[in-house]
Amino acid sequence: MSYETVRVWSWLLRVYHWALVVSITALAITGWYVNAPWTGTTLEGVASMPVLAMRNVHFAAGYLFTGALLIRIYLFLFGNRFEKLGDLLPVTGRNLRNLFSTALYYLYLSPTKEERMGHNVLAGMSYLLTMLVAVFQLISGFFLLYPESSFWQGLGGAIFSSQQQGRFVHHILMWYFLFFALIHVYLVIWNEIKAPEGLISSIFSGRKFKENEN
Amino acid sequence: MGLVAVTSVFSDAYGEECFTREVVMADSDKGNILDLNLDRRGFIKGCTAVATALGVSDALIPRMVEAASSAQRPPVIWLHFQECTGCTESLLRSSHPDIGRLILEIISLDYHETVMAGSGYQAEKSLHDTLEKYAGQFLCVVEGAIPTKDNGIYCQIAGRTAVDILAEVAPKAAAVIAIGSCSSFGGIQAAAPNPTGAVGVRDLVSGTPVINIPGCPPNPVSFMGTVLHYLTFKRLPPTDNLGRPLFAYGRRNHDQCERRAHFDEGRFAEEFGDHGHLNGYCLYKVGCKGPGTFANCPTARFNDVGVWPVSVGHGCIGCTEPEFWDTMTPFYERLPDVKLPGGLVSDVDGAGKTVLGLTAAAVGLHAAVGAVKRMAQCKCSGNDSEEEV
Repeated sequence: MSYETVRVWSWLLRVYHWALVVSITALAITGWYVNAPWTGTTLEGVASMPVLAMRNVHFAAGYLFTGALLIRIYLFLFGNRFEKLGDLLPVTGRNLRNLFSTALYYLYLSPTKEERMGHNVLAGMSYLLTMLVAVFQLISGFFLLYPESSFWQGLGGAIFSSQQQGRFVHHILMWYFLFFALIHVYLVIWNEIKAPEGLISSIFSGRKFKENEN
Repeated sequence: MGLVAVTSVFSDAYGEECFTREVVMADSDKGNILDLNLDRRGFIKGCTAVATALGVSDALIPRMVEAASSAQRPPVIWLHFQECTGCTESLLRSSHPDIGRLILEIISLDYHETVMAGSGYQAEKSLHDTLEKYAGQFLCVVEGAIPTKDNGIYCQIAGRTAVDILAEVAPKAAAVIAIGSCSSFGGIQAAAPNPTGAVGVRDLVSGTPVINIPGCPPNPVSFMGTVLHYLTFKRLPPTDNLGRPLFAYGRRNHDQCERRAHFDEGRFAEEFGDHGHLNGYCLYKVGCKGPGTFANCPTARFNDVGVWPVSVGHGCIGCTEPEFWDTMTPFYERLPDVKLPGGLVSDVDGAGKTVLGLTAAAVGLHAAVGAVKRMAQCKCSGNDSEEEV
């Protein structure tokens, strides 16, 4: 059996992916700390500023997260054919068939799935949902970061009503990313074992392996 | 009068000398009898305090004094609905009487159920006289939420519902000042499940400018500043998106807090009464809501003795924010309870950990099923099963 190499992920998508990995990891850890600082000190006269430092890392990571989100939105619209929204949305017959075939495959009810070089539609939808959650995470985050800006006050106030509600939503949505990370990493490893397309290496190299039809 | 009680305590503890000094400081009380006539010194002091709170240049103080001492005092109709009178109490009974007296000095309080002498028919007549004589000129101050459920029958005065009274008075007013969180956002009455359908003024009044002075109670200086701004500049001060004047509600308590350095340094009161609490560390971990609350408490402070909740060791409860009773409780926890159809989840992180654990278990199960299936297939078809998987 022979395989050919297909270029699937653009360098921009790979940058987006790793920026998201780094920023979410940093945001979850520092965000958790800022919500409930696990350190406590009675030391005075020593400028170590742990809470301030954690908050600064959180804000910097927040900007990285924002950048990653903007890249993905750009790629949804102007990326290559594997990255565009049209390849993911379950609105065409082709995509709907792929969605059901993937679901059956994941439930061990079908031994094979429809082959697709880009995201399968189930994965694509979960990424779309993640981006949607990310938008709300971003708005609530900037609403908390810039409480005196009338722009964020207007937008955040309209959605969350108050700072405290915004903070609460921001905290709850953090949990979504933890669930997502767990399931995502598991399914990637599962797919890597089940199919020889080289899913994990593709997010480093951008290349996948396609079985040649003989 | 309250000051007299304080001075006698001082005299017991520190002796006669201290007592004398306190009496001298309380000279505007004129022989320990509360004198409603404000002396000029107190008048200027009150105006200056308000100018400071407004953040205007001291060059404007004479203009404010002039506006405040104008012979044409603006008539004010003060409506009390679903409330506890705490806003009025804190306004008129401030320990240092300048602000309270200043208010009575510069406005003509034509209708105020707590302090007016008239009652019954007389009182209602006063209300209607002002409405007719000063239509479009008087200020309407609303204290308390307005119940709207069941045709508003849960709050009635002189046989009329609060909704009706507000609908009659507000359109004729030059402006409406909602004092307190109840008239601003519904307050405690509007807390879930809001049995009387209580709402704030802005939900009912359109066409007349409405400004919100939330707080439970709000700082008298914030109210006074709004009134003096209106008298001096003939317009209401600029507000945020929730209708709160920016001079008083433009910043978060957390960002102006005297304990902020402790927060940045990670010095916290872990629980009430511990070492950190006794040393005045940050109250973040015992539920302080300062990070989510816009107010001038840390700068304007209360009762003319320079205090506010955090300065005396209690976290902010966020009383100036909309829905504070629902979103700021529990007061001694960082985050609110999650409201789900099945009830309250008091610990969002505990619930999150449980769900994450269940997800991990599901992942494990999925992997196990896959592994078992693969082993079964290997046994059935021998060694060449690889291509079928």
